[in-house]
Amino acid sequence: MAFNVLIVDDSSTMRSVIKKIIKVSGFDVGNFMEAGDGLEALEVLQRDWVDLVLSDINMPNMNGLELIGKMAEDEMLKSIPVVMVSTEGSEEKIEKSKALGAAGYIKKPFLPEDIKVALCNIMGEEIQDGPTDDDDSETGDF
Amino acid sequence: MDQQMMTILRQAISNVLETMFFLPVQIVEDNSMRDNWLQSKKLWHVAVRFNGPVSGSFFLLVPAKMVREITANFLGLDETEVEPGQEADTVKEALNMIGGYVLSQVEKADDFQIGLPEIVGSGQADLCRLQLEPHNTVMVETDEDHLAVGIDRD
Repeated sequence: MAFNVLIVDDSSTMRSVIKKIIKVSGFDVGNFMEAGDGLEALEVLQRDWVDLVLSDINMPNMNGLELIGKMAEDEMLKSIPVVMVSTEGSEEKIEKSKALGAAGYIKKPFLPEDIKVALCNIMGEEIQDGPTDDDDSETGDF
Repeated sequence: MDQQMMTILRQAISNVLETMFFLPVQIVEDNSMRDNWLQSKKLWHVAVRFNGPVSGSFFLLVPAKMVREITANFLGLDETEVEPGQEADTVKEALNMIGGYVLSQVEKADDFQIGLPEIVGSGQADLCRLQLEPHNTVMVETDEDHLAVGIDRD
């Protein structure tokens, strides 16, 4: 079944790159939606059906951690899985993301395979190639 | 800590530019070409501030032609298809990733915060304030040119 993905990043080029990777990874995506910060993401989430959010942390207006905090307070949004995609890879930031409800964490720079693996783990998507077991990956679900 | 940050910066440059921008790079140990390079190229200057146990800015100096190349590589486009806004966005993201990588690996990583990257300029005038010395600047050789990445401490 196709799912809808919201990509949240203040870099439009990074949003394009993530979208391309998901497309070529073989996932059945219905609609891609984009937002430049947490506030824009909340607007999209209130308006459209979203199955999965991939969000940067370091953004203007509302950062990614604030976004998942807001989503956790909303009955309609709290069950939507959020994967953080960020350069901020310290253990504390990852733990904080987890505590706030993030379903996974992808550290930039990433390989296309990192996104594929994280999405497979979280969405349970069966794809032709399947995820690889990569012990060195900086990526995964919690 | 400065020395540790510079060591990690070298790793970050290779990791980010090769992984995300498909740009083979080699760190240049002999900086004698630096002044000529600085004076002969139109360079984009990108900076991102960081605060923590030590504070300052990461900076990236990259020739305009290479900006187009790495943008095309990043987005999977032909260089002729690259739009001006995409170039600025891409070089900011490159420095954001390099700085973020350094701050996630350094001692007391949890105490650091990184800001939002910005284009400082693309001419010579804004470079005058920067102190480009071997102790705070890494010169990097690519297939066709050079770029510089460094840390401008407060």
